[in-house]
Amino acid sequence: MGKSGETVRVVNRLNVLRAEHRITQERLAKEVGVTRATIVAIEKGDYNPSLGLAFRIARYFETDINNIFSIEEEKK
Amino acid sequence: MKRFDSALLKIFLCGLPVLVGAALFDHLMDGRLAAGYLKTIYNANGFLLAAWMLLAVYLSIRLVLSAGFRDRVLARLTFMKERDEREELLTGRATKTTLMTSLAVLILLFCLSCFQVAVFKLPPGKAIDGKTRGFSLGLSLRLFNDSHGTWADPAVRQYDVFSYSGLPISSSAVILLLVAWQIIAYNCTMRRLTKS
Repeated sequence: MGKSGETVRVVNRLNVLRAEHRITQERLAKEVGVTRATIVAIEKGDYNPSLGLAFRIARYFETDINNIFSIEEEKK
Repeated sequence: MKRFDSALLKIFLCGLPVLVGAALFDHLMDGRLAAGYLKTIYNANGFLLAAWMLLAVYLSIRLVLSAGFRDRVLARLTFMKERDEREELLTGRATKTTLMTSLAVLILLFCLSCFQVAVFKLPPGKAIDGKTRGFSLGLSLRLFNDSHGTWADPAVRQYDVFSYSGLPISSSAVILLLVAWQIIAYNCTMRRLTKS
């Protein structure tokens, strides 16, 4: 939480990218070395991946990490 | 070593129901009176228990010393493996919940072991204001079992209607209860976290 009472939320465009590349959750999970449940949790925003996993996902889609993950500030 | 430990762990877990069966048999049969093949079964049960206990001691030491073995035991006991970083995080949360609930259970058991309650009749001729029954509530904290453990004069206690002085179960039962609690609490928490 920031000093001004703001919280930071990580949002992602993983499902959009996946749809663009026509890749299933199962396939992506296998490629980046996690379970499908983890990909589901990331897409739903229930789980923030580690830096390592975020970079693996970005490398898989051959894009910059900022194109997939970004932060949103929420006022409490 | 890995295969050896896995084999021993399998024997340990498969031996559990056999051990319970043997304990039931021993409970129902009086070994001193058994004869023939019953005596042989009775003796075999003793051998089984001794072997299982030795295995339990070895596996406990391995559990303390080997991180890899801990992971294998956890997977075997909970039927779950940490397949990725999210599941490692869930394992951490489940472990925290298990630790804190176990601590709560331990504190509760400690309190229950210290309480002493008694409802008693007063000896004839010692009625106070016409009242012939008494109630006492006390606390007792002892770190060692000793022969002076009685908390009231036996002459007075013969008039007890109800008395409670610490947990009525054995220390082995308490330890078993805690082991079962840890496994159940971990399993339930992990399943809840995995589903959510």
